[in-house]
Amino acid sequence: MKLALLILEDERPVREALKRDLAAFARHLRIEEAEDVPTALEVIEEIDAAGDRLALVLADHRLPGTSGVDFLIDLAVDDRAFATRKVLVTGQADQDDTIRAINEAGLDRYVAKPWTADALRELVRDQLTEFVLAAGVDPLPHLAVLDAERALSIVGERGDL
Amino acid sequence: MSTATARPRVNLPRLTLVQRLGLLLGLIAFLVPLLIEIPSLEPAGRRMLAIFLLAILFWVSEAIPLYATAVLVILLEVLMLSDQALVGVAGTLPPAASYFAALANPVIILFLGGFLIADGARKFGLDRSLAAVMLRPFAGNARLSLLGLMMITALLSMFVSNTATTATMFAVVIPILAALPKGRARTGVALAIPVAANVGGIGTPVGSPPNAIALGALEASGQGISFIGWMLLAVPLMVVVLLFAWWFLTRRYIAAETPLALELSADFDRSPAAVIFYLIAGATILLWLTEPFHGIASSTVGFLPVVALLATQVMGADDIKRLQWPVLWLVAGGIALGAGIGASGLDLWLIGLVAWEALPLTLLLLLLVGVSVGLSTVISHSAAANLLVPLTLSLAIGLPIDPTAVGVMVALACALGMALPISTPPNAIAYATGEVPTSEMIVSGVVIGGFGALLLALVMPSLWTALGLL
Repeated sequence: MKLALLILEDERPVREALKRDLAAFARHLRIEEAEDVPTALEVIEEIDAAGDRLALVLADHRLPGTSGVDFLIDLAVDDRAFATRKVLVTGQADQDDTIRAINEAGLDRYVAKPWTADALRELVRDQLTEFVLAAGVDPLPHLAVLDAERALSIVGERGDL
Repeated sequence: MSTATARPRVNLPRLTLVQRLGLLLGLIAFLVPLLIEIPSLEPAGRRMLAIFLLAILFWVSEAIPLYATAVLVILLEVLMLSDQALVGVAGTLPPAASYFAALANPVIILFLGGFLIADGARKFGLDRSLAAVMLRPFAGNARLSLLGLMMITALLSMFVSNTATTATMFAVVIPILAALPKGRARTGVALAIPVAANVGGIGTPVGSPPNAIALGALEASGQGISFIGWMLLAVPLMVVVLLFAWWFLTRRYIAAETPLALELSADFDRSPAAVIFYLIAGATILLWLTEPFHGIASSTVGFLPVVALLATQVMGADDIKRLQWPVLWLVAGGIALGAGIGASGLDLWLIGLVAWEALPLTLLLLLLVGVSVGLSTVISHSAAANLLVPLTLSLAIGLPIDPTAVGVMVALACALGMALPISTPPNAIAYATGEVPTSEMIVSGVVIGGFGALLLALVMPSLWTALGLL
């Protein structure tokens, strides 16, 4: 089982930039990308079918068709995305959208464009750790992409089986 | 929060080939003794043999979770070997309650106390603060720091589970690791922690589950050992193996004069709740160590912190829920298995199988320790002890050696199986950090575990006898 991260972003250069900044995670993390919501749903289906877990979504708001915020709201009740962390990466969400994302989708973080690579990596590591803790996933196979200190604290509770 | 949320899905795990084979062979092995007449084995013994074979295959293959096999053993004993057996047999069978009672065996109560103290230590950050304070004198030189690190890890592991100790120590050490040059020095440090945690676990009865399993079985046969009595038997071996491990790991991985900066801040919680916890934990450990003076059994002492911590509300219902129940159930399953083997007469039949007394005692002890180390390398230490302790205690009846020595030796040997990432949870944690290649874990595990095993089989029994400990 791999942890998966989904980048939902319609502009190709932005997707590429996000992927490049997260390249350090790629060995231990399934990084998927989608340019619109229908593609994102297909990707989620693929992740689920492969037995992997969608740990984190980095979504832009302004997309062709369904908006990023509406996608995240739907995702909040999707069983395939249980405990999935939701991050809005956008420069264009207005206040109403942002409020809806927080109240209705349970948005976890908001990243304003442009981001800095180090801060993004730290955010991803932090959010992946939150996912592992909330979803009850065994952190050990994924330790390389997690905040080791927090992840190990739940391993310690396991006891000497 | 009014946000709608997704429901967690319970995904059943896909069984591996080994698990499927284990399931199938376990069921066959269970049926064979029931269907085939075995000469010189009474019907009760045949039923117990069926349960024992099933337990072996399930624990070795992990066809179902270890704790599930443990409760299955208890259920099968109740259904087949108790006064509530579905089909009766000639002779009287023990009451069903005696099998269920394994879940409240004094050893389980002892562990309950140990667990609560360990959980409290983590809750109040005592483990990390102690580690930080005790590491300070060793700062500067990497080889010396490693000795300090291993001693502290072992000391914590004597009272806290090996897994929790390893997790805590890695949390302390990961920043230190990052300061070391990538490569061998890091591997050495990352190997030292699980080794010290595994070896430290043998130091006290509450250090790791195999100790409890051996203690429970010995108590059932009227050969109980006090807390301090166990320590006298185990700590000398622990110290020597630790020193050897330090020598081996530093020579192999850490160049002399490697600098190592340790900047650890101790942050002792001084809130009233924490202070009450320190007092209760300290008093408990003191009472454990002084049993010869006051005579209160270690299990009774172990129940004191349970009562005191809950009554003072230093710990509460959530802390009870967080206790490692799977471990307690696994130990209980082992105790019930041992009880069933004794009650059914299977032990006597097992002794008769091989003329053990014809073999030289030294060879037998080497064999005993070798099998224990080997089995616990590939399966859970607790499961290995569950299988081997009752078996070897049965065999010890006919041998010219104290059964206590045999029980303790098996438990200690089970701690020495640490050559693979799957051998123990501490190894799995070290492997997960990415600093330890499997090949290096095999080398260090075989060398250190092998050294400990030889010492245990060849030196310890005579030492114990010479010191008058048995």
